[in-house]
Amino acid sequence: MSLLWQVLLNGVLLGGLYALMALGLALVWGVLNIVNLAHGAFIMLGAYVCYYAFTGLSIDPFAALPLAMLVLFAFGYLLQRYLLNLVIRAPMFNTLLITFGIDVILTYLAQIAFSADFRTINPSYAGDNFALWGATVPLVRLLAFAIALALTLAMWLFLSRTRLGRAIRATAQNLIAARLYGVEPRNTYALTFGLGAALAGVAGGLYGVVSQVNPYIGTSLTAKSFAIAVIGGLDSPLGVIVGGLFLGIVESLTSLYLGPTYADVASFGILVLVLIVRPTGILGRTA
Amino acid sequence: MRSAIAALVAIFVCALIYAGLGYVTNASAAPVTLGASVQLSGPLANTGRYYRDGYQFAVDQINKSGGVKIGNNHEQLALKVLDNQSDNNLAVRQYVQLVSQDKVNLLLGSFASDTVIATSSVAEKYQVPMIQGGGASDQIFDRGYKYIFGTLPVASKYFESTIDAMEKLAPAPRTVALLYADDAFDVSVAKGTRELLGKAGLKIVLDERYSTNASDFASLLARLKSSQPDAVLVAGHETEILNFIRQAKSLNFTPHFYSFTVGVPSADFRKALGADADYAFGMTSWLPSASQKDDYFGNAEEFAQAYVKRFGYEPDYHAASAVADVEAYAKALEAAGTTDPRKVRDAIAHLDFNGLYGHIQFNSVGQISLPQTVIQVQNGKVMPIYGQKGFIDKPEYPMLAWSKR
Repeated sequence: MSLLWQVLLNGVLLGGLYALMALGLALVWGVLNIVNLAHGAFIMLGAYVCYYAFTGLSIDPFAALPLAMLVLFAFGYLLQRYLLNLVIRAPMFNTLLITFGIDVILTYLAQIAFSADFRTINPSYAGDNFALWGATVPLVRLLAFAIALALTLAMWLFLSRTRLGRAIRATAQNLIAARLYGVEPRNTYALTFGLGAALAGVAGGLYGVVSQVNPYIGTSLTAKSFAIAVIGGLDSPLGVIVGGLFLGIVESLTSLYLGPTYADVASFGILVLVLIVRPTGILGRTA
Repeated sequence: MRSAIAALVAIFVCALIYAGLGYVTNASAAPVTLGASVQLSGPLANTGRYYRDGYQFAVDQINKSGGVKIGNNHEQLALKVLDNQSDNNLAVRQYVQLVSQDKVNLLLGSFASDTVIATSSVAEKYQVPMIQGGGASDQIFDRGYKYIFGTLPVASKYFESTIDAMEKLAPAPRTVALLYADDAFDVSVAKGTRELLGKAGLKIVLDERYSTNASDFASLLARLKSSQPDAVLVAGHETEILNFIRQAKSLNFTPHFYSFTVGVPSADFRKALGADADYAFGMTSWLPSASQKDDYFGNAEEFAQAYVKRFGYEPDYHAASAVADVEAYAKALEAAGTTDPRKVRDAIAHLDFNGLYGHIQFNSVGQISLPQTVIQVQNGKVMPIYGQKGFIDKPEYPMLAWSKR
């Protein structure tokens, strides 16, 4: 019984981190209709920002998260403003190819700049934990989970309550009407992509604290984020958190009952199922 | 708009140029060229680069000491290394290119058993020998190939010395958990380890395979905690083992003893973990000791010092194994007196010499027999713990609980 409780808890905490990883991808996908294949590479860059802030400048990794957000926001903004905006009206295949290219370039530049060494962001409290009803709760994972929840909620409020957030949603829903109301799409697109990159930056910092960083972590993280975004739906950040938690719990339980090699089978199996049964995602509005 | 298009074009041009930079070392047309396809980028680049550095260092050193005496001539060695981007299919194509187009004389290997299993078929088909120091899976050697030689110890016996050492610890571990990744090498290790554990009379309480590149071990660790093994043996890759140790700490799991097939001998692995690497056991087929004499480098200790000076990091057994591959070619070429690949192949099969890596003599399937020394990280340093003649240094055992460190 305590084993099941521990594994469920692991799944929930893992799911929070998953959700944060997927949040930026889902936002960009939902608003700009760009499936950003370089999303995992952005996560990797965020992890390196925190790593160097921690090892080089002795900034606590959690305090360095805003820095990672800022750097990645600027990077994402410029990328969209001066590169992706050029092809935003082109068929989706073009943006797929370009983001794939960006992913390859970023990965290899990262290897040149940071080397292929494996790194970890390892503050003194990285392994701390406490007991909760017979289960062990890793402190850092709990913090990551809390940050993921808080950012998701903030994102949801931002999109539904603020003028800018509404402008972003309006552009996604009806570009012509939005422009008639004075929304400048080029800037809005760039802001959205920047936000997506900033969320990837935070996810990267947290990932570096709980796992390890090297230039090649991006691809599998993109795949995972993609699955979560599809499972949760693209309409709302709340869907992403549901998708992330769902996947985290399913993977953990699969690993417990069927064996760890089946975790990926389960997550991508669910992806396929969702696409067949409910293509707009668990929380997505049915078309 | 125009500048943005220019930027886009620039990015693609950069990408094309980068793709064209496959040639890392392009030596002038020397009489004896050794060709290899190595992982210099992609997920396996971390270890792949040790092979490039090892090959290059050995070739340079042999040339500096006068080259290789073939018949009555002293010939220089040349090296051609291609980057296979950690892609096995590309590696196979590159070996075909090396043999058929670039006309290299002899082949050196890639890192990792999966890659070597695929690429050794090229060597066999074209009847050009391949001495490789990066693949240890039994699957490489049980196909009856005549042109593949390996300088890593047999995968199925990786944990042999570790299990010997475990039996002599006080109190000796009685229950064991065995975790392994699902690639050719680690599956071979697990198969062999299961038999060894059975012979030693140790009880396996958990025997689980996980996906290569897995990053979340929380569920496995929860199961480990509930089955409470005395010892945990993990056959996997460095990234997985990094995650395993970090998550073991954060979930407060402390067996008496844990040992890992890779990671412990590598400097960047220990650096990434810091103090958390302490107590981890591992194994190595090579230690830089002054007693291992070498014709080209003096001895293994001098080699290690020169290596650090040139490349800026400590060599581990991967690099030493790579050096042994090049040295084996030098010796075989001298014995054969020709560069004819078939005659060189026969000379390799009869090699018998001692170098900085150890005693090089290939058995009938083309693999050498090397004992694994059990090592442990103690205060951030790798200490040799147990060798063929018993304990070398005192092991720190049982492992101290995370909360008490």
